[in-house]
Amino acid sequence: MKVVYNWLKDFVDATAPPEELASRLALAGTNIGSLENGPHGAVIDAEIGSNRPDCLGHYGIAREVAAIYKLPLKHVSPKPAESAAKSSDAIKVEIQAPELCGRFTARVIRNVKIQPSPKWLKDRLEASGVSSISNVVDVSNYVMLELGHALHAFDYDKVRDHKIVVRPAKPKEKVRTLDGVERQLDPGMCMISDGDGSRSIGIGGIMGGAETEISFSTKNVLIECAWFDPVAVRRASRSLKLHTEASLRFGRGADPEMAELASRRSAELILELAGGELLAGVVDVYPGKRAPEKIRVTRAEILRVMGADVPDKQIEASLSALGFAPVRVDHNRGAEGSLLAAWECAQPSWRAEVEREIDLIEEIARIYGLDKFPPRLPAARQGAARLPQGEAETRLRQRLIGLGYREIVTIPHVAEERDALFRPAGVSPARLSNPLSEEAGVLKSTGIVTMAAALEWNLNHGQRDARLFEIGRHYRLKENRPVETSVLTIGATGEAREKSLYESPRDYSFADLKGALDEIGQLADGRDAQGFQWRDEGPEWLHPGKRGKIQLGNVELGMAGQLTRRIADLLKLRQGVFLAEIELAPLYSAMQSAKTAQRYVPLPRFPSVQRDFSLLLAEGISFAQISQSIRSLNIQEITSIEAVDLFRGKNVPAGKYSLLVRVTFQSREATLTDAQINHFEDKIISILKHRQGAQLRAS
Amino acid sequence: MDTFYIELPKGAPTPLLLRTHTSPMQIRTMQKQKPPVRVIVPGKVYRRDNPDATHSFMFHQVEGLAVDTDISFCDFTGTIEYFVKQFFGASVKTRFRPSYFPFTEPSVEFDVSCIFCGGSGTAAGGGVCSKCKGAGWIELFGAGMVDPAVYGFVNYDAKKVSGFAFGMGIDRLAMLRYGIDDIQIFFQNDVRFLKQFP
Repeated sequence: MKVVYNWLKDFVDATAPPEELASRLALAGTNIGSLENGPHGAVIDAEIGSNRPDCLGHYGIAREVAAIYKLPLKHVSPKPAESAAKSSDAIKVEIQAPELCGRFTARVIRNVKIQPSPKWLKDRLEASGVSSISNVVDVSNYVMLELGHALHAFDYDKVRDHKIVVRPAKPKEKVRTLDGVERQLDPGMCMISDGDGSRSIGIGGIMGGAETEISFSTKNVLIECAWFDPVAVRRASRSLKLHTEASLRFGRGADPEMAELASRRSAELILELAGGELLAGVVDVYPGKRAPEKIRVTRAEILRVMGADVPDKQIEASLSALGFAPVRVDHNRGAEGSLLAAWECAQPSWRAEVEREIDLIEEIARIYGLDKFPPRLPAARQGAARLPQGEAETRLRQRLIGLGYREIVTIPHVAEERDALFRPAGVSPARLSNPLSEEAGVLKSTGIVTMAAALEWNLNHGQRDARLFEIGRHYRLKENRPVETSVLTIGATGEAREKSLYESPRDYSFADLKGALDEIGQLADGRDAQGFQWRDEGPEWLHPGKRGKIQLGNVELGMAGQLTRRIADLLKLRQGVFLAEIELAPLYSAMQSAKTAQRYVPLPRFPSVQRDFSLLLAEGISFAQISQSIRSLNIQEITSIEAVDLFRGKNVPAGKYSLLVRVTFQSREATLTDAQINHFEDKIISILKHRQGAQLRAS
Repeated sequence: MDTFYIELPKGAPTPLLLRTHTSPMQIRTMQKQKPPVRVIVPGKVYRRDNPDATHSFMFHQVEGLAVDTDISFCDFTGTIEYFVKQFFGASVKTRFRPSYFPFTEPSVEFDVSCIFCGGSGTAAGGGVCSKCKGAGWIELFGAGMVDPAVYGFVNYDAKKVSGFAFGMGIDRLAMLRYGIDDIQIFFQNDVRFLKQFP
C-alpha cells in the first residue's frame, strides 16, 4: 500500500519528517518497503501484513501514527446535505446470502455531472499509483485508499427495477465484469444482481459488472458499500484468478462498521465534485451485526510474557489510541502500577484478529517499543546435552579430517539414470512427483551418487586431487514408507601424496581407501567388534579386484572400492575414482560400547619377537585370507599380523606372487623361548600350506 | 512457496512431502517431552524454487525452541543478541521489529546492522550499499514468543509456561558472515572452496 505522507496529515498532525515516520512505523510493526520523494511529496511503500486489513487505508495508518506519537486521530464524520426525498423509496436491497454478505448499504445521488476530477484528487490518486477516470469513479477509489474500505458506484438507471438482490451464484452462471471479461461463476461466490435477481451486475467484494458501469452519460448514481465474508472472497478470487483492490481488502477481512461511513464519505465527495442531490438516509441491510468482544489484559500476564513492565499510562494510551477502549476493572483501581491491574477492552470492529489477551499484549508491546524490554539471558536449568550419537559423529568427523579428507554437503535430488547406476537391486527409490527438472527427479538412494558427482565437478574444473567425505543420508521407499538411513560416503581421486622436495608423488589407491576405513574401524575396536572385517566382494559398479564389503561384528556396513572403467567412462571420469559408503548407526553404537568398555591394559613386561614369512601365493589369494588362517590357530601370543612387502616378476612364476608377512609374538607370562616360537612357526606354515597352498620362499 | 512431494502409488494413505522448514521440530519435541525445553535443531529443508544466487531448492535451517516457567520476551531477545554478537562480532547492532507469523505471538523480524557497510547504508566507494540497499539493516530471520494456542496441542499449560522459537537460514548466515555471494557454491563442493575453510 502506497502511503502518501501529506494525505496522512488529513487525519493526524504529525510533524516528524517522512524518513523518521517510516522508521517509527517499521519499529511498531508496519513493514516498510521503500520511501520515495515524488512530485506529490513523500510516498511510503508499506507492506501490510495479512493480519492488518485495517492498515490498507490512510486512515488506518494514521491511527498507527497517532498511537506511536501520542497524537489525536481526527475522526472522519462526513455530513453531506440531503434532499427531502428518501433513498429507501428509490432503492430496495435484499440479502439472500447473509453467510456471504454480512452488510449492504445503498445511497442514491441524482443529477450528478460526470466530468474529470479536480487536480488535487488526480494528484493523490497518481501518488497512490491509481489512474484517474472520472469524478464519481475516482471518488470510489479515493475513499477506498482513504478509509481502507472498497465500494462500488453503479449507474442507477441501469439497475433494473431499482432493486438489488445479493445471492449465491447459480451453477454455470456467467457475468461480464468491468474489465470486459466474461467470467464463469460457481455457487460459492456472492453475486450482486438486480431486478428479480436473474441478472448479475457484480461479483460481491471482487469486481462490478460491465452493464451497470458509470459512463460520462450517467445521471444518477447508486453507491454500494458492503461487507463480504473474507473466506468466500479469497476462495472466489483464487478460483477466478481475479485479484483486485477490493478482493484484497474484503479477502483479509474488512470492517463491517466502516461500510456506512465510507458510503457517507463518498456521497460527500460526489456532491462536492459532481454536484447533484443526495437522497435522505441510507438503505442499510445488516444481518451480520455483532456486539464487540470483550478482552481482558492484566499486568501479571504482561510481566510473565514480556519479562518487563509497561507503565499504566502507556498501556492505557496505546490501547485507547488503537481503539480498544481500556477500562481498569481490578479492585486496586486508582493504584498506579498495581500488580493486580486488569483492563477490560472492547475489540474494535476493524481488528477482528485481536481476540485474546496475548494479542493485546502484542499491541501494547509494539507501540511501547520492543527495544524498551531489556535483553537478558535465560536461566540455565540443565546441562547441555547432545544427540545420543553426537559425540561419535564428532570423533568420526575429526578422524576423517585428520586423515586429509574434506567434509562436503550435497543436495540429495539427483537424476533417475544416475541413481540407477549405483542403486542396489530391489531398492525402491523415492521419486518426486513434482521435480523442478529430470536432473533432480529422485532422492539419492545411495550417497555414492552425489559423491561421484562432486568428484566429477572437481575433475571438470581442473581439480584433479580430491579426498571428500559426507555424513548424510540416503533415501529409499519401503512399502510406500520413507526410510532414511544415515551414511558416511567417501570419495577420492588423484594423488594421495603430492610431490615434494623429499618425496615423490603417489596416486591414491584402493589400499589408501581401505586404510582410511580401517582407521575408522579402529574407533569401534572393542569387545563386541574388532574393527572392520573385509570380504572380497561388492557391487558390480566397483572394480572386481579392488573392492570389498565391510562388516562390523555381524552387521554388514557397506562397501568400498574403485569405480569400474565402464561407469567411469560413462561419467567421463578420466582417472581412477574411489568410493565407499557405510551405514553409521551400527558404527556409532559400536563406538559407544567400545568407549564404555575401554580399560587400561598393563604394558607387557617381556620382549616381543617377530618372525617374517616369505610366501609364494597363487594370484587371487588375499592377505585377509592369510591373516584369517593364522588367527584361526588361536595362538594367544600373536599380537599382530602385517603384510610388509609384495613382489611380482623376476624369480616369481607366472600366476603367483610373493608376499612377506610379519607376525609378532609376545607373552604376558614370560619371555618366549626359541622352542616356543619355532613351534608357532611350524603351525603357521603348516596351516598356510594346507589352506592356501602357500609355498615358503627361501629368503 | 512451493513444496516437493514424493511420488506414491494411488491409494497410498497420506501424501509425503519434503519439509519446507524446520518448525515441525517444535511440536515433535514438545510431544516427546515435558517442559522445560531448550533445543536447537539444524536440518535440511526443501523449497521448489528455481536455483539462482540466493535460492537453492535445498538449504539449511536451524530451529530453536525454549519453553519454561519463566521464559519471557527479554530472555528471547537476550538469547538472540548473544548469538548474533558471537557470530558477527560484538560491534554489530541489532533490532527487533514487530511482525506476524501464525505460530508466534508477539512475532518479530530480527535485523542486524549491515555487515558490509557497517550500517551506514553507503558503500565503501560512496554510493548506496548494494547489500542492504541503503537501509543500513539486513533482515536476518523471523521469530517470536510461542503462541499460547500451540501449547494446547501438546498438553502444556499455557498459563504456566511460555517460551520463544526461532528459525534461521544457516546458509544465509554463512553467506553474510563470509561474504559469499552465491548459495550454489556450498553444494558444488569445489575443493578450492573447501580449502578456504580448513
